[in-house]
Amino acid sequence: MSEQSKKLPKGRSLWSDGIHRLAGHKLAMAGLVVIAAYFLLAAFIYISELCNWKISFLQWGDKIGREYEPPNAKNIIGTDFLGRSVLRKTIYGTKISITVAFLASILSIAIGVPLGAIAGYFRGAVDEIIVWLYTTLSSIPYILLILAFALVLKDKAINLHWAGLGTLELRGIASVYLAMGLTSWVGICRLIRGEVIKHKDREYVLAAKSYGCGDGRIITRHLIPNVFHIVIIDFSLRFVSFIQAEVILSFLGLGEKNSPSWGAMIDTARLDLPKGYWWEMTAATLAIFFISLALNVFGDALRDSLDPKLRIQ
Amino acid sequence: MNNNGTLLSLENVSTHFFTADGIVKAVQNISLKIKKGRTFALVGESGCGKSVTALSVMRLVPHPQGKIAGGKIIFEEKNLLELNEKQMRNVRGNKIAMIFQEPMTSLNPVYTVGNQIAEAIKLHQDKAGWQAKEDAVEMLQKVGIADSQRRINDYPHQMSGGMRQRVMIAMAISCQPKLLIADEPTTALDVTTQAQILDLLDELQQQEKMSILLITHDLGIVAERADDVAVMYASRIAETADSKTLFANPLHPYTQGLLKSLPRLGFTGERLPTVAGIVPDPLHFPSGCKFHPRCPIGCNDERCQTIEPEIRYVAPGHGVACWHAQGYEKITDKQNG
Repeated sequence: MSEQSKKLPKGRSLWSDGIHRLAGHKLAMAGLVVIAAYFLLAAFIYISELCNWKISFLQWGDKIGREYEPPNAKNIIGTDFLGRSVLRKTIYGTKISITVAFLASILSIAIGVPLGAIAGYFRGAVDEIIVWLYTTLSSIPYILLILAFALVLKDKAINLHWAGLGTLELRGIASVYLAMGLTSWVGICRLIRGEVIKHKDREYVLAAKSYGCGDGRIITRHLIPNVFHIVIIDFSLRFVSFIQAEVILSFLGLGEKNSPSWGAMIDTARLDLPKGYWWEMTAATLAIFFISLALNVFGDALRDSLDPKLRIQ
Repeated sequence: MNNNGTLLSLENVSTHFFTADGIVKAVQNISLKIKKGRTFALVGESGCGKSVTALSVMRLVPHPQGKIAGGKIIFEEKNLLELNEKQMRNVRGNKIAMIFQEPMTSLNPVYTVGNQIAEAIKLHQDKAGWQAKEDAVEMLQKVGIADSQRRINDYPHQMSGGMRQRVMIAMAISCQPKLLIADEPTTALDVTTQAQILDLLDELQQQEKMSILLITHDLGIVAERADDVAVMYASRIAETADSKTLFANPLHPYTQGLLKSLPRLGFTGERLPTVAGIVPDPLHFPSGCKFHPRCPIGCNDERCQTIEPEIRYVAPGHGVACWHAQGYEKITDKQNG
């Protein structure tokens, strides 16, 4: 290596460049810390359940006081109608919300990105079928569609023996995230389709074809990495809407029944509120508020740092 | 037809685009022969069909709107138009490679240049990742990028236009193709870099014994670099010859006009002569000879206005499509070829 070359700055990929920009954004980093805390908490609840740890603040079913005890020194956020700790319920609710939002996001990306890329790349009849499919889906009011899917999927079992996974029992939240994932890929599909249409006639795609890449390779290796920042940004913003959708579904009685979720908490608290028992509603709402705010702040910063067009500062 | 010296021959190739406004006949009945180890230049104004001809050879005409409507593209005695997509992929990059006009956009921004050269190698050769990477370093060295061991980990945005074009060339020659199609390889580069890139192509052509199809609108480059030339006008070939003959004895009025409009050394004073008029709209080509509205002879000639001249060979290797070209009428179609 020559002397001169050592002086050259080390190259950064567009990705690491984006991450570098993001790291300088203090508010976004604070948001990331909050998001990470929620995720770690959810993961911790899973692990402690798997290992059968008896950790007191996760024992949400224990009766720890009188019914409807207002916030006090012993029970900071009070108790519910069975004398259970609202704090413990709120903490435990993280598990359901994060699980549902995460799996629904993954599912919608897994459906939306390939369909969008295929539609945008091949155009013609394939494009028309996919566009027809998603315009039809999106013409049905969103909540109605989720409700319909959730009701159909509820308490069914999906045979996954062909994949060596046994049977997936759709109890409780499984039908919720499947319903949300199966209905909400339209947005990302549309975005990816548009972006792929923009990119597919660029010269680097033609160049890749000219040295012998096939269609599958062009899509997976050349086009998707170039539009993937959209997926990341969409993921961070969509996550919020999934957390809220879970709340709505639980509120409508389609969610998890056997363990607390924020939606179920709001659902029960709704009847208590007129009686002046405000703490359960407040706790669940604040839990949703903080993760929504953190995800929104982080998502915006992510878009600013990953979208090349917004980079000029 | 077994012609030992010929690597690629196009026989009556036509490529059409089906647009909302009608059929655009971007390439009509083009025939040309590229000989082994030689540089063939395709010259013409913007929009005359040069690039579409090149993309037709690669079978990369944008689909679904574009389609090769007819003809034969014979490469190493096989008709490329009869290959299936998989066989064609094996030709692309391996036997025929291509470099493009705009080096700033023809590399994928998310991968390092080494990664991209290695991809081209791995697609056609049974090589492990590290071998392909070593080859990529060697390729970068070959195209004159200093410190290639380190440069291989650079992203395209860290390189200048000239360097990116070198990387493109490295990718193109990484599988020792028989034919390199260079679609205006230097148009986007400044003059000094142009000369370097063309010198590099010359050098590589010597080393690899490959043929080059050079697409350009720069007659200076043609005069300097090309062995054979075809001048395209409005989707057809107007005149073709070896470059010495073409420059010394142009027969088609369009070629003559182009050569007259070149600045000469020591030329001062008045404006340069031009070819009057503009390139015809490909949706509404004029009847007869497509050049007749701009042609000093043809604009008043009824035959030029009604009947389109086919290309005829007035001398060995010197073909022209003009009713008024010297010797054109003496040749009947039977003698042609």
